[in-house]
This record gives sequence, structure tokens and C-alpha cells, in this order.
Amino acid sequence: MGTSRGNGGSNANRAGETPVGTGHPETVTDETTVTEEGTELERSIGLAGGLSIGVGTMIGAGIFVFPGLAAGRAGPAAAGSFTIGAVIALLVALPASELATAMPKSGGGYYFISRALGALPGAVVGISIWLGLVFATAFYLVGFGNYAAEMLQQAGLGTSIGGIGVITPLALVFGVLLTALNLVGTENAAKLQNYVVGLLLSILVAFLGYGGLDAIGVFGTQTTPEAFAPFGVAPVFTTAALVFTSYLGFAQVATVAGDIKKPGRNLPLAMVGSVLAVGVLYVATIFVATSAMGSAALRDAGETAIVSVADQFLGTAGVVAILLAGLLATVSSANASILSTSRAVFAVSKDALIPAFASRMNLRYGTPHVALAMAGGPVLVLVALGETEVLAEVASFLHLVMYGLMCVALVAMRRNEPEWYDPDFRVPAYPLVAGLGALASFGLIFFMQLASQVIGVVIMIAAAGWYKYYASDVTLKGVL
Amino acid sequence: MSDLSIREPPTVLVPVEVLEGESISDSLAAFLAPANVVVLGYHVLPEQTPTEQASLQFEDRARAAVSDLAAVFRAADGADVETRVAFTHDREQTVERVATEVGATAVLLPNPVGAVSDVVVPFRGAIDADRLADLVATLLADGEGTVTLWGIESDGFDAAATVERARSSLRERGLDAARITTETTAAESPIRDIVVRSADFDVIVMGEGDDSLWSALFGGENERVADGAVAPVLVVRDRETE
Repeated sequence: MGTSRGNGGSNANRAGETPVGTGHPETVTDETTVTEEGTELERSIGLAGGLSIGVGTMIGAGIFVFPGLAAGRAGPAAAGSFTIGAVIALLVALPASELATAMPKSGGGYYFISRALGALPGAVVGISIWLGLVFATAFYLVGFGNYAAEMLQQAGLGTSIGGIGVITPLALVFGVLLTALNLVGTENAAKLQNYVVGLLLSILVAFLGYGGLDAIGVFGTQTTPEAFAPFGVAPVFTTAALVFTSYLGFAQVATVAGDIKKPGRNLPLAMVGSVLAVGVLYVATIFVATSAMGSAALRDAGETAIVSVADQFLGTAGVVAILLAGLLATVSSANASILSTSRAVFAVSKDALIPAFASRMNLRYGTPHVALAMAGGPVLVLVALGETEVLAEVASFLHLVMYGLMCVALVAMRRNEPEWYDPDFRVPAYPLVAGLGALASFGLIFFMQLASQVIGVVIMIAAAGWYKYYASDVTLKGVL
Repeated sequence: MSDLSIREPPTVLVPVEVLEGESISDSLAAFLAPANVVVLGYHVLPEQTPTEQASLQFEDRARAAVSDLAAVFRAADGADVETRVAFTHDREQTVERVATEVGATAVLLPNPVGAVSDVVVPFRGAIDADRLADLVATLLADGEGTVTLWGIESDGFDAAATVERARSSLRERGLDAARITTETTAAESPIRDIVVRSADFDVIVMGEGDDSLWSALFGGENERVADGAVAPVLVVRDRETE
């Protein structure tokens, strides 16, 4: 199965494994990918499914975790932070769309970067995106724990047992549960996800619509007059770096590119569409929340600030609805991220950058149990640590590196187009879009806390070290 | 078979979940072999598993299993058999897509069966009489088996006329009148009646049925018959409307 034999570059890793399936042209149609041997791989996710993956992954954090944190840092100008995040996400989503339509395969960003820039950057991105998704999943689960604890409190059960908070235990239990469900194969999980996202969007649109009308004075409630950017302009950018975690979802659509029907049309629509949809909702949420309560009160309410906002507007009924929505949203984000993690692990394992063992699956449940365990296991460790802000920022850091490199990958591809490079979607004014996307992605990293930056850099260096140790003979540049 | 006047040689799609150990008995293969057979070996994966990942590990096994099946058909008839292998998250979608691509007259829903000779065709609504006649006449041509055309009455459906039209279509193909039985009955719960009566026959041939909400929730009529009956079901597909 190797693509070259003997003579210098063996293309094999330390265990003697070579990238699988490279050098074998596959035929991509609207409905299938056909392997060299003629086996058909059905594409079963439509546009709605793609949007639901993107929106479902993203929406958990931006509305149900961040409003309190963000408003506490930047005041009402946090709306500006979310807008900056949306613009950066769009600048990256466009190049990602082009690359995904040219290479509609599992693996997403890792795949594009390893093919355009080579195995070393590929390995760094592939391994750090695995861990980046692990951090993101842990972050969503802690958010879930907060909502579940709040729900218990509303039910009058209290939020601590014997003096110990229930947030982390709840997050851990759910982390185990989600991993186990995915291991034994959840039928119709994607369809369920579609309904969950639909229900969520309905609750949010109703809530934000009511809150928005209220904020502009339709219902006669007095709004809180407050300076737009009480802490100055700099916090708007540092907050943008923090809340960028709430845009880490559009690229997940590309990790399932191999399963998307009509990839040439649906991949760009799903990626760009989901960024626009959640961007609008985030900005509206911040507007409504800061109008209703003021940013100081939001900050004090912390991760579940949006619940206090709902209480303000609609009393207990609003609280219950938003808590329910928050539970659904954080679960769907966490679940979608676990699945993306397993795909990320598969992609690097297939290319022999980590042992092939990691992409084994069991026939009984039909699930990739090793990769899922490599997703769920480390998540639990991070959840136990429970540092929400650091979790979010490290996740953002690692994703931003990938996003920046995707933009670089686009430029590399375009400047020297391989024969097979034939994307259905081409970014207009690509040097400008990709250049800005890369600048913004790398730029945001500098606004993060030192701790997050250090952890991120350490992970990347470790990934590069692993590549040098384990797979330095593997070449991936330009091979499909 | 040469003494029959078949208008359009029928193609039967045989989907088999090969990695789950599903198979087709020699007798059923022999019965179907006079038609153009397309064997579709498929494997359904949970949504969290990329089809690519499954194919890397199981493609060779699936292809080998499908080749073995094709050999069974080839041994029965000598004619070549087309094979397809697919990994999917959605069985319906894959079967429908391949059926359309190969222009299948009918799709098999397998059930274990012994010797195959007698066919029952329950009519509950409109069915493409030409396709049905081509299929049944082709399959029965070489043997001694019989076909029972069974109209099941319901509001707005002229069962007797439909059965008669099917009978004359079969006669036009040259199938011996002695091998065709017709009857028409009323039924309280048609699906259950079909399941019960299927015990007296070896193969059930049905139309596609309607796409009602009920079938979306509980599976189509054909699936429910196939689940309940002991006999395999051949579902005659409606012609594609452009």
C-alpha cells in the first residue's frame, strides 16, 4: 500500500506503516465517493445536516456560556467582539470552503494543510487540532455542568452535596455518557441533532425577539443606560480572542466533507451560512443581555448570565426554557466535538502520523472505538480541572493556528495549482481574503492570556517533536 | 425462455448486508437468475463512523463476500452478474440510488426460503403492469411454478380490474394460463393478511406502495410484509418520472 519503496524516503513511520489510500485516485460524485476498487461510499448529509453540524457545534458556547464573561470584560462593546469574531470566521470560512470543495474528504483543515504545506505543518495541525477539540469539548461540558446545576437549583435541590459543588461531577458524568453512547452507536444521532438545533433556534429567536423589542422600549421597561465600551477598546479585542471559541464549528463541517451530498454546493453554503446565522444570534444576545441587565450584573451572574436575563424578561417560565435550551445546546456542542475529534484522529492515523491502531474500528458496533476513547478520555481530565476560560482559549488558540494555516494553504495551492486541484467554489480576490484571514487568525492569538498561549505553544512543539520522532519520513505534500 | 415475448428484460437488485453475514440461498439465487441480477453488498454504519474509515478496514472483506454471492448466481444461470459494494449511513438512500442507476425493475427484500416455485402477487393499488408481467414471466419461464394474482379490495381501488389486467399482460408474455390463478378478496388488515397467506407461497411480489406518514414512521408496507412474512419480497419499482 506504500506509495514509494526503498531509495531514500521510505514514507514509513517508526512502526513501518505508510499513509493508507494515498496515490489511489478516488472519484467524487454528488452522491458518492468511489474508491479505486469501485466501492461506493455514500454521502448522506444534506445542506440542512451540514448547517446543523455547524450551528449545533457553535451555538452552545456563544449564547449560553459567554455573555456574562464577555460583557464583564468589554461591556456592551462585547457585541463588537462577537462581530470581530464573525468577520474573522468568515475570512477563514471562505478559503476553507474552496479547499473543502477541492478535497471533499474526512479530516478537514488537517487534510488541506498536510497536502498543501507538507507533513510537518500537517502533523502539528492534526495533533493539535485533536487536542484543541478535546479542550473545546471539555469547555462545553463544563458549560453543561453549570446549566445542569442551575436547573437543580431551580428545582430547589441545591447545587452542592456535602459541601462539594455538583458542576464538575455533572460534567464528568455527561462526558462519560456521551462517549459511551458514541461508542455503542447511536442510531439517528444526526437527525436528533437536527431537531435539537431546530428547537434551540426557535427558543432563541422567540427570546431574542421579545428581548430586542423590550430593549428598544416597546414594552415600556426602562433600559439601563450604559457606556458602550466602559473599559476602552483593547478589551474588545481581548474579548474577541476569548469568544472566538464560539465560532469553532464551521470548520467541523469540513471534517465530515466526505459525507456531504453535493459537496461543491453544500460545503460552502453550510460553512458560510452557519457562521452568519450564529454571528447574528450572538450579537443580538449581547445587545439584549446588556440592555436588560447591565454588564456588571451579567459578569456577576457568570456562565449562566443568560438565565438571569430570561428571568428578568419572562420570570420562571423564561428561566426554565432557557435552561432547557442551554442544556441542549451544550450537549449538542460537546457531542459534535467528540465526533469531530474522532475524525481528526482518524485522519492523522490514516496518514501514518500516529499509529494505525488509532483508526481501528469494531465491527460489532461499527464505531471507531480507539479514536473515540482518544477523544473522550483526555476530555474528562480537563473537565476535572474545570478552568473554563483557559479551556476556551487554548481551544481557540489551536483552532486559530489551523485557520491561519488553512489560509496559507489556499495561497500555496493557488500559486502552484496541482493538476487535480479543481474546486467547485473559488474564493473571489483570494490573496486579500486569505491574507486577511491568516493575519486575523494569527493576530487574535496575541490577545490571549499568557497561560493559554504557553499551553498552546507547548502542545504545538510537542506535536512537532512527535512528528520528528515518529514519522519524519512520511511525506504528504501534494499527494491525494 | 425464448418462447416468451418479454418487452423489457427485468433487472433485479439484490441488496445484501454482507458483513452482517446475510446471504442468499442457492434456491433463491436459481429462481432470480433468469433476470439480470445486480448484487449490492452494503454495510450500514452509525453516523459517527466515516464511511472511508470503514472501507479502509473492511473493503476487502466486503468485496470478497460479494464476489462469493455473485458466484452463486453465476453457477445457477451461467450469465454474468453485476456487483456493487457500498458503505453507507442510510440503507434506503443507497438502495434507491443504485436501483435508479441500474434501472432496476424490482428490489429484493431477502428472507430465508427453501425451494422456490410459487409466487403470490397481492394487489393493493396501482402497479406497473408491464414491469410486473416482464418480471414474473421471466422468473417463472423455465420452471413449473405458479403465480397467484390476488386483488385486495379497498375504497377507490378496482381490485378485480387490476388483477385482470395483470393476468392478460402475463398471458401476452406467453405464460401458460394453467399456471395463473386469480382471486379477489376484501381484507380488514391487508398487511397482516398478506403476511399470513405468504406461508402458502415461496415469493411475494408487490408494488412500491404509498409514501404515507404511516410508512415514514413504521416502515413501508413492503418492509412490514418482509419483516412479518417467511418468504422473500420482490418490490416492483415504479418507473422514474423525469
